[in-house]
Amino acid sequence: MTSAISVKSLTKTFILPHQKRTTLKESFVDFWQRQTYEKFAALSDVSFEVNRGEFFGIIGPNGCGKSTLLKILAGIYRPDSGIVTIGMADKGTHHAGTHSTPQPLSIASLLELGIGFQQDLSARENIFINGTLLGLTARQIRRLLPGIVEFAGIENFLDLKVKNFSSGMRQRLAFAIAAHIDADIYLCDEVLAVGDESFQKKCFETFASWREQGKTVVLVSHDANQIATLCDRAIYLDHGQLKSTGSAHQVIADYHAALAG
Amino acid sequence: MTNHLHNWAIIWQLVKGDFKLRYKGSMLGYFWTLFKPLMLFGVIYLVFSVFLRNPMQNYAVFLLLGIIIWTFFSEATMTGMNSLLSKRDLITKIYFPREVIILASVLSSFITLLLNLIIFAIFYVSAGLMPGVTTLLFIPYLFLLFLFTSGLTFILASLYARFHDLGHIWEVLLQILFWLSPIVYDLSFVPEAYRQWLYLNPLTQFISYSRRIFLINQSPSLKQNLLLLIISVGTFALGYYFFKRQEYIIAETI
Ligand SMILES: Nc1ncnc2c1ncn2[C@@H]1O[C@H](COP(=O)(O)OP(=O)(O)OP(=O)(O)O)[C@@H](O)[C@H]1O
Ligand SMILES: [Mg+2]
Repeated sequence: MTSAISVKSLTKTFILPHQKRTTLKESFVDFWQRQTYEKFAALSDVSFEVNRGEFFGIIGPNGCGKSTLLKILAGIYRPDSGIVTIGMADKGTHHAGTHSTPQPLSIASLLELGIGFQQDLSARENIFINGTLLGLTARQIRRLLPGIVEFAGIENFLDLKVKNFSSGMRQRLAFAIAAHIDADIYLCDEVLAVGDESFQKKCFETFASWREQGKTVVLVSHDANQIATLCDRAIYLDHGQLKSTGSAHQVIADYHAALAG
Repeated sequence: MTNHLHNWAIIWQLVKGDFKLRYKGSMLGYFWTLFKPLMLFGVIYLVFSVFLRNPMQNYAVFLLLGIIIWTFFSEATMTGMNSLLSKRDLITKIYFPREVIILASVLSSFITLLLNLIIFAIFYVSAGLMPGVTTLLFIPYLFLLFLFTSGLTFILASLYARFHDLGHIWEVLLQILFWLSPIVYDLSFVPEAYRQWLYLNPLTQFISYSRRIFLINQSPSLKQNLLLLIISVGTFALGYYFFKRQEYIIAETI
């Protein structure tokens, strides 16, 4: 099996500022002194491999580094050390003809409660901006618009500012856009967290069609059941460390054992 | 190649969004953009031309041109500096080349500049002035002004993403710069000893160049042309390099 994403010894530290100043006087005294910092390892030495066409789960408690990991895969954060390799697309697939040089697999990301929206713009305007950011042309977006709107169920709200959307509606819109992007790899962070049942049903349908088309999906979730039903394999992270890798069922068993013990 | 073209598509979408954000919910909309520099122009004209009886010929046209260019520069750098912060939702969720945000922001201000220039054209013609062949130099000039301003904004924005004090500092600096650039006065008023210092300000080059083309109708010397080219391309290259070098930190610190 060829690999879609290969991650080797990934390490990411953040710098946390230390705010020890408590009183006004202290702040004045400390003003010219350098703030102290603490290094915080959000991910330490994480390695794993995602195969092509696989549904891959990431599970772990709050703050263990799941979203950070996904952001690194999406290219938003840069790791301190370690290597992320994205597999190469087969020649003659959907990037047909334009390039003779091999292209890496394309990635669409759906991170932490939605794609970024500009809150003061309408849903329609955001669809165009996000669609373009995700690689679509304006013409493609116009063609996909009815489908996206229908999927998100926001027919009457298309020209409403996104800040006036409910969090579920925002999430539906984000997912609807991502679902209409033709990528090879989808990175999904807690996509099912705030949707209602009918929306979850649509999500599952989309996942099913992705599976049919042989897409690769990386799914972050707190819900062990979701990981168990959707994913082939998974990893379990705790405090930035890889605790377990293997079949989704095995990893979830390890996760539950750790929680119990 | 296709990627490059697509970046322009992104920039265009962002510019459209910026314009909607700027004028949505305001009754007079675009009119405000035109009104702001005109207000500043009106007050300064009153003080310098009426109260202080500045005898300069075509002072109104002279002043308006300076103010329109200044307004572009100050607005583009201010909003451009802020643009990373105001687009943080996009930056932290999707990977795309971050420079498009800055370029889109400066381009929005640039479009406003073009609209303002229509007003200038009306002033210019009604003052009985006629454009000559040298006026055509204004087209490459505008392009260089865009490059220079973008380059500076790249630097300001990447610093501002980390040090928010820069917002206040730049506001103060802009006020100082307004008086230390030959906007309300001509360089010939400035005593020799000070003039050379004003030349260190790149805006001096830009503003006096534009006046040369429009008011003196004289083609700028080779030296002036080269200087403008070097300042613009140099600032752009430096700013772009500086920005790209720390592009990846922006999503983490913003
Ligand atoms: N830009 C950043 N600067 C500083 N610290 C950060 C940054 N991003 C994430 N962190 C820290 O890294 C740790 C991991 O965060 P992350 O968002 O990856 O957790 P998570 O596993 O997704 O948690 P959750 O289940 O709550 O979504 C947290 O302690 C967080 O504070
Ligand atoms: Mg998270």
